[in-house]
Amino acid sequence: MNQAGIEPQAMVQSKPKLSRLLSAIQRYGLAVLSVSLALGAALLLNRYNFHSVADPLFLFAIAISVWYAGPGPAILALVLSSFADSYYFIEPLYSISITRDDVPHFVIFILFALLLTWYSTLRQHAETQLRQARDKLEIEMLERTQQASLLNLTHDTIFVRDMSDVITYWNRGAQELYGWTAEEAIGKRAHELLHTVFPKPIEEIHAELLRSGRWDGELEKTRSGGTQVAVASRWSLRRDDQQRPAAILETNNDITERKRREHEISKLNEELGKRTAELESINKELEAFAYSISHDLRAPLRHMAGFTELLRKNTASLLNEKSQRYVTMIMESAQRMGNLIDDLLAFSRIGRAETHKTMVSLEQLVQEALAEVRQDAHERNIVWKVGGLPAWYGDRSMLRLALVNLIANAVKFTRTRSQAEIEIGCTDHKQNQVVVFVRDNGVGFDMKYVNKLFGVFQRLHPPEAFEGTGIGLATVQRIVHRHGGKVWAEGLVDQGATFYFSLSKSMESNL
Amino acid sequence: MSTLGRILLVEDDPKDVELTLTALDEYNLANEVVVARDGEEALDYLYFRGNFMRRAGENPAVLLLDLKLPKVDGLEVLQQIKTDEQLKMIPVVVLTSSHEEKDMVASYRLGVNAYVVKPVDFHEFVNAIKELGVFWAVINEPPPGSIKKK
Repeated sequence: MNQAGIEPQAMVQSKPKLSRLLSAIQRYGLAVLSVSLALGAALLLNRYNFHSVADPLFLFAIAISVWYAGPGPAILALVLSSFADSYYFIEPLYSISITRDDVPHFVIFILFALLLTWYSTLRQHAETQLRQARDKLEIEMLERTQQASLLNLTHDTIFVRDMSDVITYWNRGAQELYGWTAEEAIGKRAHELLHTVFPKPIEEIHAELLRSGRWDGELEKTRSGGTQVAVASRWSLRRDDQQRPAAILETNNDITERKRREHEISKLNEELGKRTAELESINKELEAFAYSISHDLRAPLRHMAGFTELLRKNTASLLNEKSQRYVTMIMESAQRMGNLIDDLLAFSRIGRAETHKTMVSLEQLVQEALAEVRQDAHERNIVWKVGGLPAWYGDRSMLRLALVNLIANAVKFTRTRSQAEIEIGCTDHKQNQVVVFVRDNGVGFDMKYVNKLFGVFQRLHPPEAFEGTGIGLATVQRIVHRHGGKVWAEGLVDQGATFYFSLSKSMESNL
Repeated sequence: MSTLGRILLVEDDPKDVELTLTALDEYNLANEVVVARDGEEALDYLYFRGNFMRRAGENPAVLLLDLKLPKVDGLEVLQQIKTDEQLKMIPVVVLTSSHEEKDMVASYRLGVNAYVVKPVDFHEFVNAIKELGVFWAVINEPPPGSIKKK
C-alpha cells in the first residue's frame, strides 16, 4: 500500500479542457489502482490463510479514492470492489453471481462503503471551506496590519474614538502633533484630553456627521505642553454591521502656520487696499491738478502775451528801443512758459495714460516719424540711413512719439553741420528684446553729463544755441520704461551722439 | 442786448472776450458778436429767455463756446444744443484752453463742428480767431433760420 505517495489532485480548477480530462483520468486511475492493490493484497493474504481481510482492504481503497480523488472515483472503486469481492472471495468463487445467503453481507459492504464516501465528501467539503475561511482571514489580517502601519507612517494626525468620545486608536502623527503617546491617549476622552474648541455647538456637528457620515472644519486644540494648535479636522463616521454608529475616525492637519500667514496676508492686503485707495485719490488729485494747469494757467499767460502785443502795437511810436526790447522779452517769456506748461502736461499725460499695446511695425513708425520731422527740416541737407526694424508689441502712439522726439533731436543737434547724417536702425534683435538706435553726426555731448540727459527740463546747451524745454528725452525715457525697456546714450563733444532704447517682449505693461 | 449778431461768443473771462473782440475787429466782425458770460446766459439767448426775451428770431450763424464756464458748463450747453431739434443745426466751435483729450473726445461725441485750442501766442490766437470768425460767419453758408450776411 503505497498510494499515500500519490499527490492529491486539485479538485476545483478552471483549467483548459485537456488538463481537466487528464486530471479526471488521474483521479479515476487512482480509484482503479487502489482497488487493484487492495485486491492484490487480499489475494496474497488469502494464500497465507488470512481470510476475511478483503472487505476492510476494499473499504480502505474506497476511502483512499474518496479522500484523494472525490466521490466519482469512489463510486467507481465501490463498483470495482463489489465485483472483485464477489468474484474472488464470495461463494461461488470465480463468478460474479452470489448466493442468497451472501446478500446481507454484500448489502452491508455497499452501504458501509457509501456511508464512508458520503462522510468523507462531507468532511472534505468542510475542510475546504475551513481552509478558504482561514486564507481569507489571513489576507484580511495582513491587510489590516499593513493599513495600521501605513496609518502610522503618514504625517497626518489620525485617531479613532468611539461614540462616547473615548480614543481607541492613536497614530504616530497624533503623537507628534499633540505630544501624547498612544498609551497615554487611548482610553481618554478626546475632547477633554485636547481641550477642543469647536466653531459651533457639538450637537450640530454630530447631527451633520450622523446625516452625511462626514464633517470637516477648523478646530482649536491644545498640546500636552499647553500650547494651542489650529487644525483642519475631518471626521468620518464608521457604522457597524447593523448600521449603528460605531466609531469616528478623525484626521487632523496642523494649520497653525497657515492661519498665521493667512492672517498676515489679510493684514497686508488690507494695508495694500488702503494704500491703493490713497494712491488712487492722489492720482485723481494729480489729474485734477494737471487739468487745472492746462486750463487756468494758460489763460493768464495768453492774456499777458495778448495784451503785451496790443501794448506794443499801440505804443510803437512812443517807446524807445530799450522799452520795446523789454516788451519783447515779456512776450518771449510768456511764450516760453506756455511751451513749458504744454510739454509738462504732455509728459505727465504719458505717465497717466493707459498703454494700449498691439503689434506695431517699428519700420512704419519710423517712416511716420520721419515724415513728421522732415516737414520742419526741408531746407536742410540731411543724409538719412534707415535700417530694417521688426514688428514689436507696444503702444503705437507712444512709441511713435518716442521716435519723433529722438529723430527731431538728431535733426536739431546736427543743425551746425553742412551735411547732417542721421542713421536709424536696430543693433540687437533677439527673441525677447529689440534695441533701436538713432545716430547723428551733430554736436554730441560730454559723457560725464550722460546721467542728466534724460532728466525733466535738463538741458546741456544754452537756449540761444538750441531751443527746447528739455522734456523730449524725459518723455522718451518714460515711454520706454512703460514698455519695460531701457534708454541710454553714447556721445562725444562735436562727434555726434547715439541714442538707444530697448523694448522687451513682455505682454504686461510696466509702469 | 438785443443786437443782431452772427456770432454768439460764450466766454466768462472778460480778458479773453476783449482779446477775441480785438481779433475779430480786424475783419470788422466785432459788432456781429453777442457775448454770453456763462452757459445759462447762452441758453437764455438761444431759447429767448431772460434778457433775450425780445431778441430777433434768428439763430446765430456760429457759436464760439468755451468749455469751462460758470453755472452751466460748455459741454452741457453743447449737449443741450445738439439734442434740440431747433438748435442742432447751429455750427458750434469749441474754443478752449484745454489740451485735454477727454474734453476733445467728449465734444466730438456730442457733435461739435470744430474744436480749437486757444494758442498762447497772441499772433496765433488772433489768426485763429480771425479765421474762425471769417470762416463760420462769412464764408460758410449757415443753415436755414440763421442770421444772414448783411
